[in-house]
Amino acid sequence: MGAHSRGNTLDFLKVANDLLPDGASYDACVGCGICASGCPASGLFGMDPRRFINMAMLGMNEELSTTPWVWACTQCKRCAYLCPMGIDVSQLVGAARGAWATEDKPKGIVRSCAAQKLDESTSAMGLMSEDFVEIVEETLEELHENQPRFADLKVPIDKKGAKFVINQNSREPAVEPEEMAPLWKILDYVGADWTYSSKGWAAENFCMFTGDTEAWKDMVETRVDAMNALESEIWINTECGHSFFTIWQGIEKFGLTANFEAESLVTYYAQWIREGKLPVNSDWNKNNVKFTVQDPCQLVRKSIGDQAAEDLRFVVKTLVGEENFVDMQPCRSANYCCGGGGGFLQAGMASERRAYGKRKFDQVIATEADYVLTPCHNCHSQIEDVGDHFGGAYTVTHLWTLICLSLGILGPDERKYLGPDLADINLPEEE
Amino acid sequence: MSVRIYEADVLVIGGGATGSGVMRDLALRGINCILIDRKDLNAGASGGNHGLLHSGGRYATADAETAAECRHEGDILKRLAPECIDDCGGLFVAVDGDDEAFAAKFPEHCRVAGIPCEALSAAEAREREPALPEAILAAYAVPDATIDPFRIVLENVGHAERLNDSSYLPHMEIEGFEIIDGTVAKALCRDRRSGEAVEIRALQFINASGAWAEKVARLAGCSDVSLLYSKGTLLISNTRVTNGVVNRLRLPDDGDILVPGGTVSLLGTSSVTVDDPDGIAPTVPEVDRILAEGAAMLPVLNETRFVRAFSGVRPLLKSAGSEADGRKANRGFALFDHEDQGLSNFATVAGGKFTTFRLMAEKAGDLVAARLGNAEPCKTNLEPLPSGDALRWTEPGAAARDWYKRADPTDMVLCECEMVARSAVDTILADAPGAEDHMSLKAIALRSRIGKGACQGAFCSMRVTSHLYDRGVYDSPDGLRQMRDFVNERYKGIRPVLWGAQMPQTELAEILHCGLAGMDLAAAEEGADSK
Repeated sequence: MGAHSRGNTLDFLKVANDLLPDGASYDACVGCGICASGCPASGLFGMDPRRFINMAMLGMNEELSTTPWVWACTQCKRCAYLCPMGIDVSQLVGAARGAWATEDKPKGIVRSCAAQKLDESTSAMGLMSEDFVEIVEETLEELHENQPRFADLKVPIDKKGAKFVINQNSREPAVEPEEMAPLWKILDYVGADWTYSSKGWAAENFCMFTGDTEAWKDMVETRVDAMNALESEIWINTECGHSFFTIWQGIEKFGLTANFEAESLVTYYAQWIREGKLPVNSDWNKNNVKFTVQDPCQLVRKSIGDQAAEDLRFVVKTLVGEENFVDMQPCRSANYCCGGGGGFLQAGMASERRAYGKRKFDQVIATEADYVLTPCHNCHSQIEDVGDHFGGAYTVTHLWTLICLSLGILGPDERKYLGPDLADINLPEEE
Repeated sequence: MSVRIYEADVLVIGGGATGSGVMRDLALRGINCILIDRKDLNAGASGGNHGLLHSGGRYATADAETAAECRHEGDILKRLAPECIDDCGGLFVAVDGDDEAFAAKFPEHCRVAGIPCEALSAAEAREREPALPEAILAAYAVPDATIDPFRIVLENVGHAERLNDSSYLPHMEIEGFEIIDGTVAKALCRDRRSGEAVEIRALQFINASGAWAEKVARLAGCSDVSLLYSKGTLLISNTRVTNGVVNRLRLPDDGDILVPGGTVSLLGTSSVTVDDPDGIAPTVPEVDRILAEGAAMLPVLNETRFVRAFSGVRPLLKSAGSEADGRKANRGFALFDHEDQGLSNFATVAGGKFTTFRLMAEKAGDLVAARLGNAEPCKTNLEPLPSGDALRWTEPGAAARDWYKRADPTDMVLCECEMVARSAVDTILADAPGAEDHMSLKAIALRSRIGKGACQGAFCSMRVTSHLYDRGVYDSPDGLRQMRDFVNERYKGIRPVLWGAQMPQTELAEILHCGLAGMDLAAAEEGADSK
């Protein structure tokens, strides 16, 4: 029986033996509970990571195959990062998700995965390739008209041999296309040789969250094929967490051939700043507005590691001023997941998701920061939501917004994610 | 100094399978008993065994009578106490290097003893037990099963208590008997915890004290009980290794039998003749040898995590040639009426197997009933063993499933490995045999899975102790001393299996108990006080 056969009770010890490396099977657990004490999902549905292991050891396969906790665990791997025995519960959670009957899985996640399968665009919001191309062209036209400084800005699509191929989270083209412009401006500013791909451009993978490994693989294959066809040297993942992880991990997990390097946009922000191509500074922050960052689990702990966290801090400190940056504790690879990942945001379990996110909310509040910066759409939405829910006064913002703000090229209609305190700061001069 | 006095129709000495079996047997005949134990239930061989409900296959070759008894008794227990039994089946397997001629005779020996025995091909055997090696010379399926020795003893006592107010007194040591004109009038005991002198008056006295039966008989002036003490050591794995029982098909030797125990497996046993049944502990050489022998039959045991070793002493009846080798001793049992020793109301039942405890109890019960003029027949072969709510926590996974099903967020889990919740501990405090007595951490562990998981008490010893203080069971520093004794006792079993994952596990326990709780310093202080 495969780990993702539907509607079946899994033998979790066997699954663990198959999935986990030698010496890190559940049998190695010393029961210390470091995983459970640092897991924001502990206590939801009576579960925590240690309990998951112990229940597997006790043969409680039916209970583990049916507990809704597997949808409240965001598979953030904080437990695996801290485990002294190297045990990774998240992989077993993935297997458990996969064993749920499709009709019983959270509908939001299932629908998003189904939408992704509709078209080679792989968009969870159902945007077809031709829609995407049309929206990009229209948005670009508006930019050319409204911001004469960028009248010559180009947004290449399917440009074979471009150095970088960059993906795009569906939220912008589908809901707020004007939010694409800041990134285009940055790429234009540094003179990047880049392109979108009309196929597989979407930066999200809900199929991975459904636990359906085959569907995850299909998504990654479509995207890898599209990028291989463009013969780009480097794939840059936009400001999004899991869209990086899904491909970065998927290539290895499924043994795919990728003729490109997988990189994060944050890495390039940092590089372009160091090279002087992106001359940002904190001169605009005269009021000493305070900022903190949320390290996306998918980008830091689960994939690139602390180097990604260092780059993120370098970019943010340069943008806001060292003295205006306040770190969350814990942070970097030990950061708590916000509760927006793993499909939790789309799983229709709002009260559990907010109970999970309370830990993140408390962390943010403890920094006393006015803004939370995060290069991840799920983090962004979740931190914003728990802020509203628990009465926080902070604002959540993308990096591209702040970069363009610092460069004086952030237009008035690109300030949706800034608070009133920054609405009029560093506006582009009228031409 | 005042003496506490108890009275009953019958005093049963020894809280193991036989003693608890006698207690229930007599209660079913309407006879009121007091059961006592020097320690607590299953403190001897009844707690120190495989939990194997023998089909009889193990004795088919050497001892057809015991083999047939095992088969017959096994069938009765499977029928009447199914909640204590996992009818998982068993295999007898000869592997490379074993005597093929010996193996070939096995089916015929089983036939003579009346034990169903089915020959399997190597492929069929591996289909049943994928952990078996490629090279299998012979394999036979027999109706072996496993029994929870703690549950069945708890249920025996619990049922007797409910039937006719028979009662159980733990920590009650026999120091002597008052005998008047060939009749035992009372047992002179001491409560080992309070130090109080206790007298138990009864009409009949049954000595069912297992490996201590010879000593107890001598206290009554009887010199006819002669036992051989055979120490056996077993290893407990962290997970269940096989689906059913796997026996090595050869003359009994170390590491021959792997028995599932719910979520774990038990591998053993050694057989070492010892002079005294007290103070035994598993040793590293025994463990090494058991493991080497076991791995020849099931190579997976080389990679298996073992959490603990423990030892028991088989009380064997001496017979010719058995002094040098306990394996040659008779595994049958004997009932001594001691009439030729000049006593009319004292009897000893000794020897036998866990599997045949009910039959031993029946024979003892028949004698006592006849002596009391009670004409009720034995009913333990007909009456199903009921299940008590406070007595079901020794089954691996039972507490975990109960807790998960009730989904009560206020019911804190005290033992994480085995997921024993506060509510389960509270039912034990309220209703388990011995509850009217002081129920310590050790007593709760005996009646549940506390301390038996991978952490071997590292966490749960502290959590349960805290809970017992919360509940007012402990109200002095004695609770902390009991916790330390409990942890030390567990360590005796952990020490011989300290490799692999159990090493970091034990280091973690040391950090908690010594680094954090300072339990080692408390021990030193106490030692300084007493000197």
